[in-house]
Amino acid sequence: MAVQAAHAGGGIADHIHPEPQGFIRRYVFSIDHKIIGIQYMITGFVFFILSGLLAETIRVQLMNHAGGFVSNDTYNEVYTVHGSAMVWLVIIPIVTGGFGNFVMPLQIGARDVAFPWLNMLSFWMFPVAGLLLFSSFLVGAPVAGWTEYPPISLEGGVGTSMWCAAIFLIGVSSTLTGINFIVTIMQMRAPGMTFTRMPLFVWAQLATAPLSMVATTALAAALAALFIERQFGVPFYDPTKGGSPVLWQHMFWFYSHPAVYIMVLPVFGIVSEILPTFSRKPIFGYKMIAFSSMAIALVGFMVWAHHMFTSGLAPYLQLPFMILTYVVAVPTGVKIFSWLATLWGGKIHLTTAMLFALGFLALFTLGGITGIFLAAIPYDLHIHGTYFVVGHFHYVLVGGSLTGIFAGIYYWFPKMSGRMMNETLGKWNFALFFIGFNGTFLPMHWLGILGMPRWVPQYDPQFEFWNRFASVSSFVMTFGILLFFVNVIWSLRNGKKAGANPWGARTLEWQLPSPPHYYNFKHIPNVYGLPYDFSLPLPYKGLDEELTDSPAPVPAGSH
Amino acid sequence: MAENRQAVGFGRGFWIATAVLTVVAAGSVYFWYTLPISNALPEAILTARQIDDLFRFMAAVGSALYVFIFGYIVYFAIAFRAKKGDDPNAIGVQVHDNVRLEVLWTILPALFVVLLSIISVKIWYEITLQPANGLVVEAIGHKWYYTFRYPQVHGEITDEMHVPLGVPVTLNVTSSDVIHSFWVPAMRLKTDMVPGMVTTIRFTPVRPGRYQIICTQFCGTQHAEMNKQVFVIEDRPAYDAWFHSWQAKNANASDAVATASTGTVALAGGDAKAGQATFQAKCSACHAIGPYSQRLVGPGLKDVLHDPSHPSLVDGDAATPANVAKILQQGYKGDMGQMPSAQMNAIGDKDIANLVAYLNSLK
Repeated sequence: MAVQAAHAGGGIADHIHPEPQGFIRRYVFSIDHKIIGIQYMITGFVFFILSGLLAETIRVQLMNHAGGFVSNDTYNEVYTVHGSAMVWLVIIPIVTGGFGNFVMPLQIGARDVAFPWLNMLSFWMFPVAGLLLFSSFLVGAPVAGWTEYPPISLEGGVGTSMWCAAIFLIGVSSTLTGINFIVTIMQMRAPGMTFTRMPLFVWAQLATAPLSMVATTALAAALAALFIERQFGVPFYDPTKGGSPVLWQHMFWFYSHPAVYIMVLPVFGIVSEILPTFSRKPIFGYKMIAFSSMAIALVGFMVWAHHMFTSGLAPYLQLPFMILTYVVAVPTGVKIFSWLATLWGGKIHLTTAMLFALGFLALFTLGGITGIFLAAIPYDLHIHGTYFVVGHFHYVLVGGSLTGIFAGIYYWFPKMSGRMMNETLGKWNFALFFIGFNGTFLPMHWLGILGMPRWVPQYDPQFEFWNRFASVSSFVMTFGILLFFVNVIWSLRNGKKAGANPWGARTLEWQLPSPPHYYNFKHIPNVYGLPYDFSLPLPYKGLDEELTDSPAPVPAGSH
Repeated sequence: MAENRQAVGFGRGFWIATAVLTVVAAGSVYFWYTLPISNALPEAILTARQIDDLFRFMAAVGSALYVFIFGYIVYFAIAFRAKKGDDPNAIGVQVHDNVRLEVLWTILPALFVVLLSIISVKIWYEITLQPANGLVVEAIGHKWYYTFRYPQVHGEITDEMHVPLGVPVTLNVTSSDVIHSFWVPAMRLKTDMVPGMVTTIRFTPVRPGRYQIICTQFCGTQHAEMNKQVFVIEDRPAYDAWFHSWQAKNANASDAVATASTGTVALAGGDAKAGQATFQAKCSACHAIGPYSQRLVGPGLKDVLHDPSHPSLVDGDAATPANVAKILQQGYKGDMGQMPSAQMNAIGDKDIANLVAYLNSLK
């Protein structure tokens, strides 16, 4: 908004645009970052349900070693769309467009993002891309897995071209959001909010945005080339016409490895907010957590070829990728140890949000450790392309990102809706999800090591027991997730009124009413320190009068 | 603050929890180092044992670390939980950081990274840079099966791949259509089969047996069935017996092809010098003048007519001038890719004679 220019001079303009009237302008084509954030989440969760149904189709098919639930070709379509949708239509939009949009401007004391209209445009590309991807089922969806390696992805009908177009579109959306967030965080922080006073969620978004902006453009180039080759026959990847299939792999992973960090860095931020709030303790090692996010983002650009150790790269070229991948363990370890130290000596309130944050810590750590096995070239030559990989990345993306998303929803739902979520249902949600998740994905590690390749609709009978075990566990997990949706819908109507700050949290968004006003802050506050010092008064001056600065206690019965 | 810390953090409970976790972590290390992996999955080649040892090392360190992290999460969540009746505004110990601790947990993982790098590079070195002598085999991926070629034999084998025990093997792989992969779990080794590209792996079989070959790159509708073929490791006499019977079975068929294809182009009077010029203009984009293994798109042609280890051409025919002329005239389409015919390439009979004379002059 134009008013933000006034920040530079230190004076705070009280020029506030009136709230648009009418349903369409308020809730559909809104330019309010909070509404757009919620739109991202709702749309993301709709695609999550669809992709989840695809996931259960996979698990039902694998109940028997001979398959038989769907045909091979349908099965291939199902896991391809499942993977693509979960990455591009669920996790990335929810953690960046969803949480980033709703929370980040509130936390830095801004009235909106830097480019609200661009923000609206970014959002509206997302459902269009999603519809495009899912409607490919009508004409024959892509089959070659979410990585779509040519030359196999050059075959088949128009579905794969629709896949290209859909992912390209969501990529543009992601790039624009990245630009928007970088400018917002660099230019629109409240007076006094220096970089070392920013909440860690904002740091996480600042580390993520350049990844979205830079890496996604490489993917866009690769997708454009694939689309052109498929539709117009210009050879980029077809080796019989002088193209190179390995070129696609480089371009794809140059994006898709950083994409893992796009999916997980914002969740690091979510967890870094929840742990201090419910431990009633400052986050341990604030600077190291902020710095390690940036280090992970940087090194994340230099490890892509660890997905290609079997692709026939020049042998010596592979070594730096292995070693740099090991190096990622150092900043990641720093984060995990710092979170652990944050718990130590705290006054821990085991709310559902906190349980999910702890669940994140437990599951993501395991996903990180199994990542080392895949980074080690000698061992990767054995387990590449097997169920070990499937187990590993589900620990990172479901155990990590999705668990963190649930934590974030349970944490910020009161701010978004003004109502509390049901804690009893929440704890059942957590327990069933956690148990079901581990039962589903832990056995995949030894299935892979013992010889089960991924992307198969039938498999060797010796693996049937653990596949059935995984399938049954996945039903438990799905039931747990169902309770989440029940809880959200029930709480929207019947949840207790939340008030401004039900958790006693100290970042700026909790000093506003729930839900916040259209303009967020009537007066932009001044910031005097870090938000995590529970022994000190709140480090803000000039907050809107209607709120007090003493945190309210956690409601009874929530722990 | 110091007393507070003592009381809150490092009381008896913390040390008891740490002791329990240490025992569990030690147990997990013992578990991984005694796990009989080779019972479930034989170690069929020389490096498989080392790869399993690397696994044991990573699993032991990883699970010991994980026991502590998971254990402390649970312990802290219980020990430091806010109890019923506590002051709802009570806060935890207000510690911001601890430089010594942070340096420690940066340095220790960094040292582990260094150690793991040294170990993995060492094993990688042994896997990647094995001796290049010994038996050379070519494996080609197709939808949805593999074929195998032995340089001393004409034609292709489609059912099983045999290698002798204890002899270093150089396996060159490629694909005739899309990307496949060649994985033998018992070898702990796989490589992708990329069309238009030859990738080499080397290994020394040390344990006789019949092992499954599995494709791990999605390659189409029947991808899951690309695991029916067998990798056979057998002792030398058994291997030789198999090899000779197979050679005898195929000899007649290959000779017939070779005979049928002679005489289509008059090769007499070919001019090697003119052939070299034609080669530069028409062939050098796809073929190097180098050893067979030096592939651009097609194989290197320096020794094409004089390489005892490659007595056959890409189409399985014997490496004779007549058969080279046949490929030049008719082109080639198969698992090595595609080469245009003489008509497509705009070369006449005289050019073919010159090219063959040129290739024949190379040694």
